[in-house]
Amino acid sequence: MSLELAPEPGRREDLPLELSDEQESVKITGFWMFLVTDVLIFASLFSAYAVYRPRVATGPGPLELFHFGPALLETLLLLTSSFTVGIAIYEMRKGRPGGVMAWTIATLALGAAFVFLEIHEFASYAALGATWHQSAFLSAFYVLVGTHGAHVSFGILWAVTLLVQLARRGLTPVTARKLYTFSLYWHFLDVVWVFIFTVVYLMGKIA
Amino acid sequence: MAEPLINRADPESEEAEAEGALAFLRPRFAEERFPWIQVWGYGGSLVLTLGAYFSVVRHVLAPQFLVAAILAMAAGQAALQLGVFMHLRESRGLSWQIVPLALAFFTALGMIGMSIWIMAFKSGVS
Repeated sequence: MSLELAPEPGRREDLPLELSDEQESVKITGFWMFLVTDVLIFASLFSAYAVYRPRVATGPGPLELFHFGPALLETLLLLTSSFTVGIAIYEMRKGRPGGVMAWTIATLALGAAFVFLEIHEFASYAALGATWHQSAFLSAFYVLVGTHGAHVSFGILWAVTLLVQLARRGLTPVTARKLYTFSLYWHFLDVVWVFIFTVVYLMGKIA
Repeated sequence: MAEPLINRADPESEEAEAEGALAFLRPRFAEERFPWIQVWGYGGSLVLTLGAYFSVVRHVLAPQFLVAAILAMAAGQAALQLGVFMHLRESRGLSWQIVPLALAFFTALGMIGMSIWIMAFKSGVS
């Protein structure tokens, strides 16, 4: 005689691990709502940048200030990190915690390189006297790009805590959900950066 | 190559019954043996980024068309990230996240567009 266990209520085995538990899947929907609010934060900052871009006062404008080299390198780093975190989630769907760990660490290394380059870029502008109280343009620039950089920096710290949890608990509906929301966050930051690269750096060079 | 998207919703559940107006919210899941979709997504984003970069560096178009072209490429990349990497269509029930996200993008375009528009009347406002 076999004893068949009734399926846990709210449990769907046909779904990926992060969505299999009802409670955890609600948190993914909640995280989408957070991203919606973040879209609006960045929209406000882009609006401010668009309005203040011509107001350079006595400071440099985008044409004199920006260099393509670091901006393009930062873009390629962030695009690649978006790809690696995508592969981490692919590995998670395959149930391979080692793969998740390795690809997430690669993502963090790329993210850290991005933040390092951005700090270096800001410091090089400040060395020229182009600090954020120089002009309305520079205020808007530093707040927009800096808010994005702060998001990336926070994302790195967050992912480190997730990797510790993954190492201790393995892939469970809870750790899978947390890694999944981190991947949503990271891809979202890549989308924001694509618009920063286009609107701030590329359009800054179009007279 | 990537296998087709499979609707894994329980056939008796409410999401499987969602027809007509709500059919676009039905969840979909990608299943594949090799992450082809991600590789293509990465390749596509590189092509769009370098395309935008070189079209600006080489001034391939008049300024106003160049701005329109690189903004279109950025929008393409955003769609690519959402569709390929963020699994926009995946959800436990209906993919309700699509609705507020679309509203947020609409609001964002409105805020940015209206700000630029109103500041175009420089002599009148400032």
